[in-house]
Amino acid sequence: MSSVGMIEQTAGKGAARYAARRRGNALGVGSNRRGGWVTYTLLTIVLLISFYPIYYTFLLASSDAPTIAQNPIPSLIPGGNFLDNISRVLNSDIKFWQALWNSIVVAVVTSVSVVLFATLAGFSFAKLRFRGRRALLVFVIATMAVPTQLGVVPLFILMSELGWTGKLIAVIVPGMVTAFGVFWMTQYFEESLPYELIEAARVDGCNMIRTFWNVALPAAKPAAAMLALFTFVASWTNFFWPFIVLGSSNPTLPVSLQLLQASYFKDYSLIMAGVVLATIPLILLFIVAGKQLVSGIMAGAVKG
Amino acid sequence: MAVIAPEQEQQELSPKDQRRFDRRQRLSRWDVKYSPYLYISPFFILFALVGLFPLVYTSWVSLHDWNLIGGKGDFVGFENYATVVQQPLFWRGLRNTFSIFLLSSVPQVIIALFLAAMLDANLRAKTFWRMGVLLPYVVMPVAVGMIFNKVFADQSGMANALLEKVGIGPIGWHSDVLASHIAIATMVDFRWTGYNTLILLAAMQAIPQDLYEAAVVDGAARWRQFRSITIPSLRPTLIFVIITSTIGGLQIFDEPRMFDQTGQGGSDRQWMTVTMYLYELGWGAQKSFGRASAVAWILFLIILVIGAINFWLTRRISGTESSESKKGAKR
Amino acid sequence: MRTSKKSWVVLTTALAGVALVASGCSSSAEEAGSDATATSGEPVTLTLATFNEFGYEGLIEEYMQLNPNVTIEHKKAATSNEARDNLNTRLAAGSGASDVEAIEVDWLPELLQYSDRFMDLTDPSVEGRWLDWKVAQATTADGKLIGYGTDIGPEGICYRADLFEKAGLPSDRAEVAELLGGASATWDKYFEVGDQFMAADTGAAWFDSAGAVYQGMINQVQNAYEQADGTIIALENPEVKAIYDQVLAAAATQSANLGQWSEDWTAAFQKDGFATMQCPGWMLGVIEGNAAGVEGWDIADVFPGGGGNWGGSFLTVPEMGEHKAEAKALAAWLTAPEQQIKAFQAKGTFPSQQAALTDEALLSQTNAFFNDAPTGEILANRANAVTVAPFKGPNYFAINDAMQQALNRVDVAKTDDPASSWAKFENDVQQLG
Repeated sequence: MSSVGMIEQTAGKGAARYAARRRGNALGVGSNRRGGWVTYTLLTIVLLISFYPIYYTFLLASSDAPTIAQNPIPSLIPGGNFLDNISRVLNSDIKFWQALWNSIVVAVVTSVSVVLFATLAGFSFAKLRFRGRRALLVFVIATMAVPTQLGVVPLFILMSELGWTGKLIAVIVPGMVTAFGVFWMTQYFEESLPYELIEAARVDGCNMIRTFWNVALPAAKPAAAMLALFTFVASWTNFFWPFIVLGSSNPTLPVSLQLLQASYFKDYSLIMAGVVLATIPLILLFIVAGKQLVSGIMAGAVKG
Repeated sequence: MAVIAPEQEQQELSPKDQRRFDRRQRLSRWDVKYSPYLYISPFFILFALVGLFPLVYTSWVSLHDWNLIGGKGDFVGFENYATVVQQPLFWRGLRNTFSIFLLSSVPQVIIALFLAAMLDANLRAKTFWRMGVLLPYVVMPVAVGMIFNKVFADQSGMANALLEKVGIGPIGWHSDVLASHIAIATMVDFRWTGYNTLILLAAMQAIPQDLYEAAVVDGAARWRQFRSITIPSLRPTLIFVIITSTIGGLQIFDEPRMFDQTGQGGSDRQWMTVTMYLYELGWGAQKSFGRASAVAWILFLIILVIGAINFWLTRRISGTESSESKKGAKR
Repeated sequence: MRTSKKSWVVLTTALAGVALVASGCSSSAEEAGSDATATSGEPVTLTLATFNEFGYEGLIEEYMQLNPNVTIEHKKAATSNEARDNLNTRLAAGSGASDVEAIEVDWLPELLQYSDRFMDLTDPSVEGRWLDWKVAQATTADGKLIGYGTDIGPEGICYRADLFEKAGLPSDRAEVAELLGGASATWDKYFEVGDQFMAADTGAAWFDSAGAVYQGMINQVQNAYEQADGTIIALENPEVKAIYDQVLAAAATQSANLGQWSEDWTAAFQKDGFATMQCPGWMLGVIEGNAAGVEGWDIADVFPGGGGNWGGSFLTVPEMGEHKAEAKALAAWLTAPEQQIKAFQAKGTFPSQQAALTDEALLSQTNAFFNDAPTGEILANRANAVTVAPFKGPNYFAINDAMQQALNRVDVAKTDDPASSWAKFENDVQQLG
């Protein structure tokens, strides 16, 4: 079923017209401007700066310790030890595969849960009227202002009371909702989900949860996709709390890769090979999700 | 995605149906009244578990003479607060935090806004450019720290080598206060500008086209379009970006800690931030968990105040322009 | 509405289920030993937390074969700092510490204040096992021993033979030891030779960092910053000020002005940055890595002002553990001379045990990168030359930290002169009181 058609059924003609207009925008019909050469040049510069550190990581990963020590600024041509270094990481005693699996589990579960809960809460805060709405929202935002370093000790006490130390759930549960996500979805709904759509759905007899499911969730797709991506990356690179509560016996990737630095002299070719291994899944995610994400953004507010 | 078929509308109401209809009406009222609380409850339930307890615990700690390892000592009221605000290091940390925050956040938000506007244009290979901008976000922090340490090394770094070529003497990135703040701000912006760009871009994409069309009919210049349509329409997202940048910026910890080998913010505390000071009090030689908690609460209050000011400012700026654009549309 | 509410419930439970299943799969190791009782002979799982390289991987296997009822779970942190954060969090929370926790000498004093959190490991069977000063480091004022010594860092002087030659100084390692004063080497002599070296204008500095040299000197003072009762005397003690002045006076001409471990410091190994540095055993690997491809490094069997030690660790048994007796037995076994020799062979951690220092396997050790120097023998001599176990009270690290920053302000950052930097140091110390 085409999305506009579906909206017409579920949310009424006005909403469908609105959606069609928005898609028109997104498809570039009557788009206000095209990128000129200035835009392309500036973006190319930005992209080169963005790309360099990743390439630099790869350069070091393909080199060896003496070469790195001798050349503080590496040559732009990769060395020949990349596969060697990768296999050194995989063969070292750092539980790489277990860590990879743990990281995937943690990142996937937290991303799905953050998106779901944040979308629900965001929809309520942005579009529903209820008592204490503003105060509760301010409270959510204020919770972000608590310095995280300090929470470690009480959180650890809590986790050992629950018997969760050393288990993945100790990393998953604290990450299952974020104030950041709730705030983000609230703001997105506020600006991109018109009341007329919700009203239309209500008039057509949708209850709240169905209005959410049929109207709000599709509208939130681009923002939800971004939130999922951000949450995934944040969870993937998180070091301190997993290190404290899990330790090296049941590690996530950053915790296990940290062990590659466990000597007085740091072999950067080995460490960076580990970083490359840990970054590949993220880049794959980018390539797969990127297309989805951008087309999601392009489709504007409503897509079925 | 939508799997639930629309319900059949009741055409004629028998008495039985009438009761059902009434019940539905009642349920519907309850639905409107209470379901919002249901939707926000997962957040608050989980927050109560993993967020509120640490918060309450910390405030309890801050009122005691509390050693990290030794544990709870005497109740001292607000003495910890009084002590830390008398420490010159606390104020130095606050100065550094604000300086790094301003040096990083202001350019970051402005650059992100312009980048997003560029990406919003009708470009070839959109996915490529958009994902490219976000690339720095996936670089592991350990790699970011290492790379920037190499770039900003005082004697052997790339930054000074390049500056020397254009005739600027070596800059003491790790000795001069302002230089160290600029270097750290660069590190911060490297990782987070693309992230904010994408957030703003997502919001820009959602601006209805007819607003622009009206402006084109008006013959508004591109800059004016940007200022009086794009910015005001982005208000909620701008508020989001500015508030989260404020919170993140005032809590800055990882980047300045990674900036040198000791992670203490420099020999003259040139770049020691409030959170670093907090960490040093609690986990460093003093192990004063009580004082560290007091600093955390002071910082929390400062963030609330600054956040409120920024919220007000953002609303005001984008709000004024919004009314301006309405005027423009009438004209 | 019913349907939708149901779907919401289903979703939540499903999600919670995923979380539980996902995390349940990897928890078996953690639970395995929790039911075991502390009596010997019954199956028991011990956790052992170390950092960096202790060289224990093979030994753990060996111990489990010798004691079939014992399973050891080894938790490693990459750096000493991370291990410290980890242990501190667990001590603060009052739970979760490993049965055996490795502790570095740098953060041992702060834990000595809370010696009641650790088991007293005093035992006739281990008496006389370690060098006296090593035991003293882990002993409280009332005679409680909270840690068994693993490795130490006895210091010689590493130097660049080629740069010495260039400066017209003798370059053979025995001659260099003589040049610096042999058995009666002093810091005055070290700085004097430094002047000679600098006069030859080789382009290299004499030493890497004022902070490092200061550390070597202050470690030879019994009560530098605090009296035995904890009274802070750092500002009144003339020795501290004298060393501070002497180091900075020398640093003005002889220092490479590098902060230790900084990016510039690392890079300087490739650029003939400096000719000498203080060299505990573990530093040999650091130099070899950083100076890859550079020829001329050697090590002399000498240290100014007597012996010196830099670094080293201990194994402790936290009181909160459930299997303290077994944990103590494991710690005692791991720190026996025979085992530490194996650890030395595996990862080069220099043993702190008396008997190990005369072991042939250790004495015959040479190092090709350092011109085939007999490093085992040299470091064993250096370990025996250490006489002073400096007192490190509760404020030692806060004061020493402030001092290192004071030195770096002058030597590296150059934001202060010696007088103004000392004033800031005074201020920092007064804040502690």
